[in-house]
Amino acid sequence: MKSQLRSIVRSGKFMTGFVIFVSILLLTIIYPLINPGDPMARIGYDSFRTRPGTYVSLYDTLDGVNTFTFRIPGANDIRISNKLREDDRERIKYWLVEYGKQEEVAGLTEEEIDIEDTVALLGLWWEFYSDEVFVRNLTNAERNAFMRLDVRLDRLFDIDDLQVYTLNPETGEHDILFTEVSTDDYINVSDVANIIRLPLGTDNFGSDVLKKLVLATATSLWIGLVAGTVATLIGLTLGLLGGYVGGIVDDIIMFFTNLFTVIPGFVLLILISYGMSQMERGATTVAVVIGLTSWVWTTRSVRSQVMSLRNRDHVNLSKLSGHSMPKIIIKDILPYIASYVVMAFILQISSGILAEAGLSMLGLGPSTTSTATLGMMLDWSIMKSTAFIHGAWWAYYPVIVVILLISFSLNLMNTGMDQVFNPQLRD
Amino acid sequence: MKKRIFALALAVAMCLSLLAACGDNNGGGGGGSGTPSGGQGSGSGSGSDGAYATRDPFVKPEVISDVPRNETLWFNGFQWGSSNGWNPISNEMNNPLAIQQDPDGARLVMMETPYMYNMLDNSMIPLLADGNYSWNTDGTELTYKIKKAALWSDGTKITAHDAAFSWEFGTKYSRDGNANWTPYIADVVAQDDDTVVIKAVTVEHEGATVAANQLMMITFLGQNYINQKAWLEKLIDRNDGDISAMYADAGEDVVFSGPYAPYFMDDVRTILVRDDGYWGQHADMWGKLPTPKYIGNVNYETNAAGDSAIAAGDVDVSQQFIMNVNLLWEEQGLPISTYLPEKPWFIAANMPTAYFNLNSPAVGIDNPAVRKAIAIAADYDLILANAMTNQSPSFGDYPRSLMNPTAPEQAMYNQSAVSHLQWTGNDIDGANKLLDDAGILRNPDNGGPNGGWREIDGEILSFKVSCPDGWSDWQMAMEIVAAAGPAIGIQLETYYIDWSIYQTIHTAGFQTELDIFMFSTQGISPAQPWSRIRALLSSEFNGLDGNWTGNFGQYSNPRVDELIKAIPLEKDSGKLNEIYTELVEIYLTDVPSFSLMYRPEKFHTVNESIWTGFTNANDGRNVPPVNCTVGYAIADLYNLRLVG
Repeated sequence: MKSQLRSIVRSGKFMTGFVIFVSILLLTIIYPLINPGDPMARIGYDSFRTRPGTYVSLYDTLDGVNTFTFRIPGANDIRISNKLREDDRERIKYWLVEYGKQEEVAGLTEEEIDIEDTVALLGLWWEFYSDEVFVRNLTNAERNAFMRLDVRLDRLFDIDDLQVYTLNPETGEHDILFTEVSTDDYINVSDVANIIRLPLGTDNFGSDVLKKLVLATATSLWIGLVAGTVATLIGLTLGLLGGYVGGIVDDIIMFFTNLFTVIPGFVLLILISYGMSQMERGATTVAVVIGLTSWVWTTRSVRSQVMSLRNRDHVNLSKLSGHSMPKIIIKDILPYIASYVVMAFILQISSGILAEAGLSMLGLGPSTTSTATLGMMLDWSIMKSTAFIHGAWWAYYPVIVVILLISFSLNLMNTGMDQVFNPQLRD
Repeated sequence: MKKRIFALALAVAMCLSLLAACGDNNGGGGGGSGTPSGGQGSGSGSGSDGAYATRDPFVKPEVISDVPRNETLWFNGFQWGSSNGWNPISNEMNNPLAIQQDPDGARLVMMETPYMYNMLDNSMIPLLADGNYSWNTDGTELTYKIKKAALWSDGTKITAHDAAFSWEFGTKYSRDGNANWTPYIADVVAQDDDTVVIKAVTVEHEGATVAANQLMMITFLGQNYINQKAWLEKLIDRNDGDISAMYADAGEDVVFSGPYAPYFMDDVRTILVRDDGYWGQHADMWGKLPTPKYIGNVNYETNAAGDSAIAAGDVDVSQQFIMNVNLLWEEQGLPISTYLPEKPWFIAANMPTAYFNLNSPAVGIDNPAVRKAIAIAADYDLILANAMTNQSPSFGDYPRSLMNPTAPEQAMYNQSAVSHLQWTGNDIDGANKLLDDAGILRNPDNGGPNGGWREIDGEILSFKVSCPDGWSDWQMAMEIVAAAGPAIGIQLETYYIDWSIYQTIHTAGFQTELDIFMFSTQGISPAQPWSRIRALLSSEFNGLDGNWTGNFGQYSNPRVDELIKAIPLEKDSGKLNEIYTELVEIYLTDVPSFSLMYRPEKFHTVNESIWTGFTNANDGRNVPPVNCTVGYAIADLYNLRLVG
């Protein structure tokens, strides 16, 4: 036993899987401690627009924070290049050429406009462009885009100092709160009172995705664990009984096992989940239902292994010694199949997590308002919303990566153990 | 630029302000502006020589299911689930691309109405009708003439007898017996072949005999199709006059008058083909045929799938809600646009509403304190920001009432008189206090959060909050409503049902399956806000099967019914204001339903990868943004051209 454990620990595959799995598990325990708060809280007032990053209170930035003046050459260029993007020059030229064709203006041809000469290009733009001018060849989407571009360009060289006012409730007048915010003014971020760090942004409900992801991972692991335990316990008990007792007991057990083998487990799972109300579909209930529909293959494997064990000499010896059936099963049979059962259990956890994800993506997981699971996060970001159209990768990629890592780590652990316990695979 | 947008908003507001003043003859008010051809609203005779037009009968071309992309205008968001047929008298066809008759205008691609409603300026523009309609001296009869050029697809003339028989058919053979109209329209008769007279139901008011509601008679002109008498008679004959059989009849042989003909349908697509013999190419109407040879609607499983399709350019016009729609052009640079170039991008006039089913056996739903507590606890700012992605104004901008957020309607009630009843939401403390004061207390023994679920007579308050599955923005709104449940001690569980089933439940005369459920209200039509209030609160719809008009929760209040009856007869704006204010007061006190958001009249997002020339607020054409097909929006189809 010790040598087997040592072999397992020495197995690179097992240890890699184990480390990944334990890291995820630890993250679900430690992260809520270092970043407490309700993961379901809806803090953001937008849908998939709050990107991952650090958010600094604009109010606090202006209100009583030390300013520092830095004269940095090129700062204005950065500001301008932020407003006049590369393709904007091409688009300005496109408008000017179309306008030139329509109004027959000299100098506005493809050849005559040089997009590298910013000053000349903008000069032409400001001379001819007006949102009142109707250029026939443009689509409405293009016309709107040019209106937005024009607004952006108008502010391009508008780098006057800003003034911030506050309304005095007594006089009803605006007092200058902060005067002359110049383009050279900077603040130290650590001086700002309110800063929110959202490493994975927010989702469609405005919840902190990382916090929710940690909660969802914990819930999904719990679902996997419960589902795996239920499925393994049922599978093991029925397999042991059928395999060892045989006869009519085996026939009955095999009748139900075969029945459940031909009915796809996932379909059964959908039907049962659909039959339950949302309030009844807590994470644990969903897990138990998953367990109840996925014990079949464990039963079959355990039964076949027990059948080959039940006629071994040491078992016969125990029988002759008058040992009771439970004792024989526990003492003489179970230890021989324990390694297999553990490996099956690990796979059951993995498939339990995947089953939950599948179920939740069909909207049949636990209630959205009560908890988060990995499947439900995918449901809302991909199936019900369009995070993928708007490039809100943070709402679904991390979820997929976590699901991938969990099932990858569990499968690695399983393969590592298989190499130790399975004589055919042993190095 | 900003000034321009402001001016634009002002212009829209001014146009909508006509709503308030409507009621008098406004026919043809929008005629001529931006129309592709003259003749509308002119009141002149049909053919230049006054003769009847002729045409060859429509022959359906050979069906190619894979229609060419650059000859087809694709829509999405009109329907969920596959279509069943082309029968214009049936509401079981699930084919809104071909058949849809709403207060804000009918879909005019296959069947046609006498007038086209333009929601931008509340005008009625003649289509099958020739020139403006007129009233008799006491305002109890509305008369219009049928255009001499107007022909059925089988080549026969459209006559006043068709209009009269369409009405007669509706009263005799529709499930609800024209219940929406019979309180206001006594009869539609053919004076001669060309002249249609709509006779009002009359009431005695202040010593005179007056029409019960002229505005509904005007609405009727833009909402109800004229069907061919001969075809209707055929339908009756072949189904032995059995209403259910007639509703189930797919109407493959329908005789139509519109520019598009039934062509192809399968589980995911409905396609119509242009009828190149369409009467409307006559100089007295459009002067030409609509541009796309085919128009089709594609069904997508969810909003998300449909949104991907318009982003990819597979769909040209989308009536779907698109999350963060502006990012499609602002960040991704896609050739997509909406009617208004800036926020809120659409014209908000609808108010999707959660109805309390007062027939539900769920304990507590009959208690106004429970209903109001649920309503004031919901976080509407979150719904607006997260579910609607700010595509409409907030309840902070326009406090909740029975009015839509257009300026003319907002001015129709006394806001300060009801401000103490209005709520902006997320008021958990207020909701808890309301319930505590009503003696509906938490039971610490039932294991509920925050000190237990609340109970009445030992039963936990527990409601199902529903909307159709796949309508993701509504689902998100429902999740936000449900999220307040634990904080106020009421179990609110979301429950999403496939639309094909949902529509049969929420329109049923009696149902106990849905407790709190969502549906749209009426937006803009000549008879607003009266018609919306009637649809929200009038008990006349209670117990009616197939009730699509409103009051789905079956609220009943005699005082409300009395006020609803009084409005159409009241000409004094001050008194009207008082009535509307009282109605708002009752509505916000009894809370038989509560609006979750303001919403565009119709979403109308276009992708200009293939087609361009769609209506927009800057083009001066005055074509309403209702998907190129509803009411006067059909004018868009004549303005389209291929990009480049």
